[in-house]
Amino acid sequence: MNSGTLQLDSQHRQNRWCCDTCVPERETALKGNAVAISPSRKFMLWIDGVGAWQLCVGESFVVGAPSFEEKSADIALLADISRKHASIERNGEEWRLTAHQSTAVSGRTVSQDTVLCSGDEIQLAERVRLGFRIPSILSTSAIINFESDHRPSHSVDGIILLADHCLLGPRKDHHVCCTQWSDVVVLFAGDGMLRCRSKVALSVNGQVANDSIELKHGCVVTGEELRFRVEQME
Amino acid sequence: MKFTFAPEARPLDGYTIKRAVHRGGFGEVYYALSDAGKEVALKLLNNNLDIELRGVRQCLNLKHPNLVTIFDIKQDTDNDYWVVMEFVSGRGLYEVLQDYPSGMPLEEVLFWLDGITAGLSFLHDRGIVHRDLKPANVFQDPGGVKIGDIGLSKYISESRRSAQTQSVGTVYYMAPEVAKGRYGREVDVYAMGIMLYEMLTGKVPFDGQTAAEILMKHLTAEPDLSRLPKEIRPVLSAALEKDPARRTSSSEELQRQFRNVVAAADMTAPVPLAKATPVPAELRSERVRSMESETIVEIDTESVQAGPAGVAALVGFWNAIPTPLQWVVGGAVAWLILESGMWRSVAVGGMVGGVAYLGYQLLSIFVGEPFSASSGPYTKASTPPPAPARRQKKASPTAKAAVPTKPMSARPVTRNTRDRVYTPATLREIGKTHRATDVSTSISVSLAASGLVTAAVFFTTNLLEDSAQAVYFAAVTMLAAWALIIPSKIWEGRSGDSFTRRLCLGSLGLGVGFLAAVLPEYLLISHDELFHGSHSSGRVLIGRVAVSDGSQFPTVACFMIFFAALFSARRWWWQIDSFRKARFRVSSALFTLVIGIIITGMLKDFSFPEALGATWALAISAVVQLSAGWTQVEDRRLSPAPSPTTDPVPPRSVNPQVPLAKAEQASFH
Repeated sequence: MNSGTLQLDSQHRQNRWCCDTCVPERETALKGNAVAISPSRKFMLWIDGVGAWQLCVGESFVVGAPSFEEKSADIALLADISRKHASIERNGEEWRLTAHQSTAVSGRTVSQDTVLCSGDEIQLAERVRLGFRIPSILSTSAIINFESDHRPSHSVDGIILLADHCLLGPRKDHHVCCTQWSDVVVLFAGDGMLRCRSKVALSVNGQVANDSIELKHGCVVTGEELRFRVEQME
Repeated sequence: MKFTFAPEARPLDGYTIKRAVHRGGFGEVYYALSDAGKEVALKLLNNNLDIELRGVRQCLNLKHPNLVTIFDIKQDTDNDYWVVMEFVSGRGLYEVLQDYPSGMPLEEVLFWLDGITAGLSFLHDRGIVHRDLKPANVFQDPGGVKIGDIGLSKYISESRRSAQTQSVGTVYYMAPEVAKGRYGREVDVYAMGIMLYEMLTGKVPFDGQTAAEILMKHLTAEPDLSRLPKEIRPVLSAALEKDPARRTSSSEELQRQFRNVVAAADMTAPVPLAKATPVPAELRSERVRSMESETIVEIDTESVQAGPAGVAALVGFWNAIPTPLQWVVGGAVAWLILESGMWRSVAVGGMVGGVAYLGYQLLSIFVGEPFSASSGPYTKASTPPPAPARRQKKASPTAKAAVPTKPMSARPVTRNTRDRVYTPATLREIGKTHRATDVSTSISVSLAASGLVTAAVFFTTNLLEDSAQAVYFAAVTMLAAWALIIPSKIWEGRSGDSFTRRLCLGSLGLGVGFLAAVLPEYLLISHDELFHGSHSSGRVLIGRVAVSDGSQFPTVACFMIFFAALFSARRWWWQIDSFRKARFRVSSALFTLVIGIIITGMLKDFSFPEALGATWALAISAVVQLSAGWTQVEDRRLSPAPSPTTDPVPPRSVNPQVPLAKAEQASFH
């Protein structure tokens, strides 16, 4: 699939509402290479029968409107907000939000930074509301929901901020609730690579895997009842 | 893997599938991106016997803020049709209902009501009836409420085929007159009424264990309106009227009445109806109703309801035993019956049980609960397009001869109820060559099978004394098997009347009985011990036919009666059909044995040998099940596969992601 940058006239270029298309792919550069985890990487998980989730790996994430002159925000929302509106950082087990523009968390205006707790609602500017949730007690990873329906330029059901593990499974306290799955699949960062493992027999691109699987860009993980594809963004 | 297409597939030019969304009633839905990045939903329409797009084409150019917009319909290289439509990213009413197990807050109900009404009245105004309105087809999107799947239900109806089965959408929302085949836009109003009820109370008004039960309730039962506030009851009562002429006539009328009542009672405050706060995600318990509100449910119009709870427990117990153990138990029971000579008590017990069961059936038909096609109105036919069949969990035998409809379990959720069910009653197209091959294969295998079964009988019992008798036994068993298999295979996949078929088989049974009686003379075997009946009652005549001649041996007529009775008592074509639940079911064979015992019990006074008769019943059942062709669940199709010369394996059925049996291990740690 082409990355298909739209031809825009100069007037549109200045309007930060217009941004790149969906998922820019760098197939040629990344094909066959493992997905390296350097500061804040973005992935797309296309999960059959469940949804499309963006997975952010790293320790610091920028929240803002999309930009195509420079590197886009990690959480890039089509919204009337600044390109670097706020940052979410993780320090061990603690999540902090640093506000660069007007931001409120659960009703309290944030002047500089604040701690984020599960269940908080982050409000950016006047209209944008994001839900912040840590669903599982086994992991510090967090989920961002789009409470005010301001999303990235293509439909994403939510954003996972990976701290240690991300659980894809049938229960409500898993990060991504895949109701039809029989067991949980765990995504984690190991050896600098994004990996996954499960008790369910998994195969990657047709090859059965024994233990944990390295998730390369474009690989498709298949199990008895499940299938999902991993793409690295940008 | 469940879904046909893998991520990144490009069945249509210009679009790349990114993921599967779900499998709905009419086909699989995928999320795809165009080459430029425009997101769409692609719905793959199930392959159909005759594709009629007239219905969908009417709706192609409808645009309304409350309808899911259809962009286009395209055909891929396999000649399958895809509907390209707007992707709705928000939650559906189905999911929202799960958040409110005891009812939604009123504002939310009004929000959905307004949106559905706007969309529906637009459709009705253009002469289109949705026919499949249900929460799974209603979505919410920043643009508002959107109704999906418009035009598709009419498309499906164009291709109704058979007279035997009727496929319906989800039955919870189906108006009674849909089954009769004459309906108008009032069916949508009825569905709206059901949805309103569900939004207000969290449950559907008509629920049951099987689709048949639910349909029956739509036809005859009154909804329990006591769960609703009293002001709303008349509104819903009018919307859920059984008679379309007396029902609320339009969606706008329903909306108006509802709003009037709400305003008058000033019910906008958070709700006496239900605890309105949505249950937080972490604490929410699973909503127990299953996802198969989208399944196409096939009603076996020949089946009868399963028996009372005690029987259900027994059946459940039997299903729970692992199959090898079932064999052991079944074999032990069979051996005991054969050896103990407790004919009388077993026969009497069997007959009493049979009569009691029959009585229960008759009683419940009059009471109106179970559903049986001969009395029901659902004789109009249609076949849904087949969804690719999935491997089902190991089918477990049932202890009753009447195979119950695969229950659409309302509680609890089971994955298998999503699947399309292929039963011996499923109508299908079978090519002449295929049928002929099937028959000839079955016949050839029956040679071996009858030999095998005879050998088993020979060695495990002392019924057959020498090899000549064994050959005789095998020959008769084989002839009987042929007499059963050939007509059943001819009938396979076709609709037919049970009574006629039984009559036909019974007549063939007369023929087989005759042969069984005269064959010993030709084979010159001594049949004294074999045919020795235990009783004789003197000369008994029926008309001019001597049923018993006072000797210890059965007459020719007696043989004929036995076989005719055996052939007509059981639904043999179910045991022979390719789509039967399992290739060989011990319970089927055992039940035939019981029938055989009962029949010999009735003929005992005519000197018919009990042991021989009962063993024959068991052996014939075993042989037909072993030899009759059987199709694996995943290979079952309603129509023949495309011509083998062009494409031996339709690409659809090969999953590119199937894990290889032995694969090189890449460097996985």
